[in-house]
Amino acid sequence: MNSVFRFLYRYARQNIPQYALGGVMLFATNYVVVRIPAIIGEALNVLEIGGSQALHDSQNLAIELVILGLTVMVVRTLSRVLFFNPGRDIEYRLGVDIFGHLLSLQRPFYMRHKVGELTSIASNDTQAVRLLVGFAGLQVCNVLVAIPLHLYQMWATDPVLTLWCLAPVTLGALYMRWTVRRFFGMIRESMQLLARLSDRVLETYTGIGTVRAHAAEQAALDRFEERNGEYLRLQLRVTAIRAFGMPILGVSGMVAAGIVLWVGGQRVLDGLMPVGNLATFTALLLSLVGILMALAWVLAAISRGIVSLGRIEKVVDTPADLPPVEEAVTLADPPRLSLRNLTFTYADGDEPALYDVSADVAPGTTLGIFGKTGSGKTTLINLLARVQTPPPGSVFVDECDVTSVDLGVLREATAVVPQSPFLFSTTLRENLRLAEADPWADRATQDDDDARLREVLAAACLEEDVRQLPDGLATVVGERGVMLSGGQRQRASLARALYRMRPLLLLDDVLSAVDQGTEARLVEAIRNLRGGTLTNESPTTVIVSHRTSVLEHADEILVLDHGRVVERGTHAQLVARGGLYAETHLHQGSESEGGEPS
Amino acid sequence: MSDRRSASSATSKSPASRPDEGPTAARQASAISLLRRFWSFARPHRRWLLSGLALIPIVAGMSTLRPLLVKHAVDVDIPGGDALGLRLTAMAFLGAVIAEFLCQATQMYALQRAGYSTIYDVRRTVFAHVLRLPNRFFDNHAMGSLLTRTTTDVEALSETMSFGVFTILSDIVIIGSILVAMFVLSPKLALISFTVAPVLFFLVRYVGAALRRLQLEVRKAQAGQTGFLAEQLAGVTVVQLFGREDDARNQYARLGSRYLRATKRANWLDALLYALMDGISAFSIALLLYFAAPEVAVENGAISLGLLFAFVDYLQRVFGPIKEFSGKLATIQRAAASLERIYGLLDEPAEDRAEPDARDPLARWKGGLHVRDLQFRYKDDGPDVLRGISFDVAPGEVVAVVGRTGSGKSSLGRVITRFYDGYRGSVGLTGHGEAGTKAVELRDVPPEQLRRHVLMVQQDVFLFNDDVGFNVSLGEAGLAGDDERLLRALRVVQAEGVVQARGGLSFSVGERGDNLSAGEAQLLAFARVAAREPTLLILDEATANVDSLTEQKVQAAIEQLLQGRSVLVIAHRLSTVRRADRILVLSEGRVAEQGTHEELMANKGLYAELYEMGFGEGEGEDKDKDEKDEADRE
Repeated sequence: MNSVFRFLYRYARQNIPQYALGGVMLFATNYVVVRIPAIIGEALNVLEIGGSQALHDSQNLAIELVILGLTVMVVRTLSRVLFFNPGRDIEYRLGVDIFGHLLSLQRPFYMRHKVGELTSIASNDTQAVRLLVGFAGLQVCNVLVAIPLHLYQMWATDPVLTLWCLAPVTLGALYMRWTVRRFFGMIRESMQLLARLSDRVLETYTGIGTVRAHAAEQAALDRFEERNGEYLRLQLRVTAIRAFGMPILGVSGMVAAGIVLWVGGQRVLDGLMPVGNLATFTALLLSLVGILMALAWVLAAISRGIVSLGRIEKVVDTPADLPPVEEAVTLADPPRLSLRNLTFTYADGDEPALYDVSADVAPGTTLGIFGKTGSGKTTLINLLARVQTPPPGSVFVDECDVTSVDLGVLREATAVVPQSPFLFSTTLRENLRLAEADPWADRATQDDDDARLREVLAAACLEEDVRQLPDGLATVVGERGVMLSGGQRQRASLARALYRMRPLLLLDDVLSAVDQGTEARLVEAIRNLRGGTLTNESPTTVIVSHRTSVLEHADEILVLDHGRVVERGTHAQLVARGGLYAETHLHQGSESEGGEPS
Repeated sequence: MSDRRSASSATSKSPASRPDEGPTAARQASAISLLRRFWSFARPHRRWLLSGLALIPIVAGMSTLRPLLVKHAVDVDIPGGDALGLRLTAMAFLGAVIAEFLCQATQMYALQRAGYSTIYDVRRTVFAHVLRLPNRFFDNHAMGSLLTRTTTDVEALSETMSFGVFTILSDIVIIGSILVAMFVLSPKLALISFTVAPVLFFLVRYVGAALRRLQLEVRKAQAGQTGFLAEQLAGVTVVQLFGREDDARNQYARLGSRYLRATKRANWLDALLYALMDGISAFSIALLLYFAAPEVAVENGAISLGLLFAFVDYLQRVFGPIKEFSGKLATIQRAAASLERIYGLLDEPAEDRAEPDARDPLARWKGGLHVRDLQFRYKDDGPDVLRGISFDVAPGEVVAVVGRTGSGKSSLGRVITRFYDGYRGSVGLTGHGEAGTKAVELRDVPPEQLRRHVLMVQQDVFLFNDDVGFNVSLGEAGLAGDDERLLRALRVVQAEGVVQARGGLSFSVGERGDNLSAGEAQLLAFARVAAREPTLLILDEATANVDSLTEQKVQAAIEQLLQGRSVLVIAHRLSTVRRADRILVLSEGRVAEQGTHEELMANKGLYAELYEMGFGEGEGEDKDKDEKDEADRE
């Protein structure tokens, strides 16, 4: 608990002056709010007495009321803004810090957490914190100021009546507190039920082909109805609480108003107080009830806010898991790459994904990795790119253990094309120029005359595709734009790496979704990187594929099977040996001879 | 499948997703038709709806009555010193409070119940409709947007039904009855009190409109920021590999400050609107006191003190709901947009369905096929995938279909199961009992009747997150719950042992079958076939690599399935091809050769070539490569 508040203080500290001023405004607001009914009552009292003096007095009181009305407009506005806006500031700072921290966390962290969960922390939980420091902060202070002021004004008006009224209102408030807690329990449950319902919808839509093939629509509908029905039943329970439980506090206020009429009226009859006090009292009561209602909601907001803060703290305090770097290394261009008895097991794996893999890639040469799905190819690329952290003493660049090389330096020297190409929802041009500073900044005009870009497009066989896009390079792609085909995405991802062009090039099965004609051209383009125009020196390259045709030109090829190197050698050697590689080569080779219809 | 969708989605962004534009008049007209259509969903729940609506005037009456009772106490009971009368009045007041509470609670419950029940029906209707949409629809629409229609949009509607519409209605009635009471009691005082009303009206309108604009901007900014966040996290590795962390963070901060600016300004306006109400109510009471004072202060003036009491009470309540109006109207507008999107989906034409008690046209079908000059294309402006295929399948015959990727063999199965309609040429379902019965044309058989006889098993097995029993029966009446039949089906495909070892039919397969291996999942899919005993089986043999033990079981299971029925098998295994009675070799949408294995091998044509390759298709990852090629070609 304490740590949560320390954490909160870290973010709220800057806004303390605003909160202080807000507190003053809040006091002023409440002072005016309880004064208004008092003045109304006073005016009614003098009017009851009658006479010209009364007329004069009551009209003065009316003018005073106008002034109070103006004042309340100003101070109430200020008090709310001075509490709410710092809440927004804090939400903003928290959000940016969370995101910044998330960016520094590596793959192992993302294997443990789903993106949806993290997005929810960065958006929903920061909102809950904002409500805690804004709305809840305001209400807590408000209650602290307003309840004493209201009680004071009521007591000053008539102590006996105050005691009479407090009884039902207190009961109402206690009931409300209990109801709100139950209500939130149900809301949480209903959110879960809604998620279950959505899961079922998604599951059915995903398996629609199976449903249809087996004419199982009715069963799918029945399964959906289970969830739809349980959600409806809960909603009706929520509705019952909302209709019959929630208004109880308000009703208790009205009951108290009835008591005011009964007991207060009697006191007026007995000459113990003037009749205008009835109006004062009723107005104060209703205002008090309003505050108590807000209090019940606020308690819920506070508990949710604290839970959210805890979740945020957990993410922000996850260490970035980057080893301290003792010496600054500069890598050669191109660097040498060595694997020494590399064995790697995933944190949640039982068996090693890679077992005793060794290789030496001389500067500017190409290492090919061949293997079937699940053989450990991608793991190897991820370790080389330091997406996963290899055990110390197993992966070296220029004779430096990668675990002790600054990650920034290493990545600066590396261009990676991951297996599943990821395009951001921005223009194709910006996706390709991701390597440039500030790729997401709005740039009104961009020249298509970027020579490098054109060269890269040609190398990745993307020119024709770009021509066919509605806005060419300015077409927005990705999730919220034009969806490119798998092959197009792969080529765009390749083009992006070529645009960046670094001395170390890692290609993870990047040609799996392109047809064979294009594959041949792309292989040619990759091969031409040696001494080509895109680079000065040929990069040190590691290329992964399950197709032998992609690997033919590699200086050495490792054949992986279940994480172990089962064969190694040049293409010619491997084919001659007649093992797994040769077998696949024969198989795939005859396929390409037949020619692909296109 | 995803790739075919991607190529076309560029051109076919659904018109329903476009935000509502166009002239106001048209929009109002459409609002009425939206409502009329919505009524068809609400009709079954009209009892709750109407009884809720009927209570609104009672609630309004009660809440207007209370101040009148106070007036009576102040004007009659107290000056008259009538203690008993005062007590009676107070009791009446308490009675009114309780009655108002009960009526209001019941009204609220009834209306929300009607609302939620209606939404429940809408949700079911949408879901049931999507189940019946043709495959082509799924090719052109992302799963995400369909999910949104069924859940998020319906939920937006639900929120409005429960909070927006009905509270606005009851607020209006209450305000109206208060106004009536005030004008009846004293038109003069009412007019005096409401001299501030025009000011109020303009302020609320002005501030409210500005606030709405800002809130729109807030939502946009927020959506932008959240969208960016989600995408960056999804692609976080790329961001890191390209060293773009700082830029991403800066961009997030930029998007965040846009949101921050908008929300801060919205806070100012919101606070102002809130404070305005406090102020205005004080002003109107001040006006009331100032101008009424001369008449009250004078003995026997036209205005009684009690009247002032009543007016003070009314004035404190009458302005309250106004500030909420604009916000509620905005939710209603959002709901209308959701409703429009939902209708857009419901208007998509669904697959044909047979009449509920229609005769089964295939009741005596023995599984013969008579295909002549079959032509088919996925899109009207696309290339033909099948270009005039003719072949026959005799009842009980096993026909293997082989061909390269893109030859049209998968499409053939999709046409014969009516997953895709619109073929040209003829597909006759022949062999109905006694010889000489006429062939039934495929396009005349409603899909769900057809699929009770023609079953297609696809390469990628889809398992529901449920138990083994459900995954085999798929809830089919007569099958679900009949453990004996289900186990027998599992036995046929040699999966009974595996299933029993795991805990029997009630073993949960996990999300997308995570608790089973790929081979075991295959076997379950085969058990579905064995349990249904289709007349014609279309089997798309999987190429996925399973361990050799399971592989043997899969082989054996396939062998079982091929017996006793007509089978069209898209073959990838040599053993399957050899087992077939006849082999159909497809190339570019045409039948290149057909015959037995021996005949075709002797032919030394395409088949012999494919045979050399082992009929495989790489690693089986391009299961829909034929469509993909097509998409790429466009």
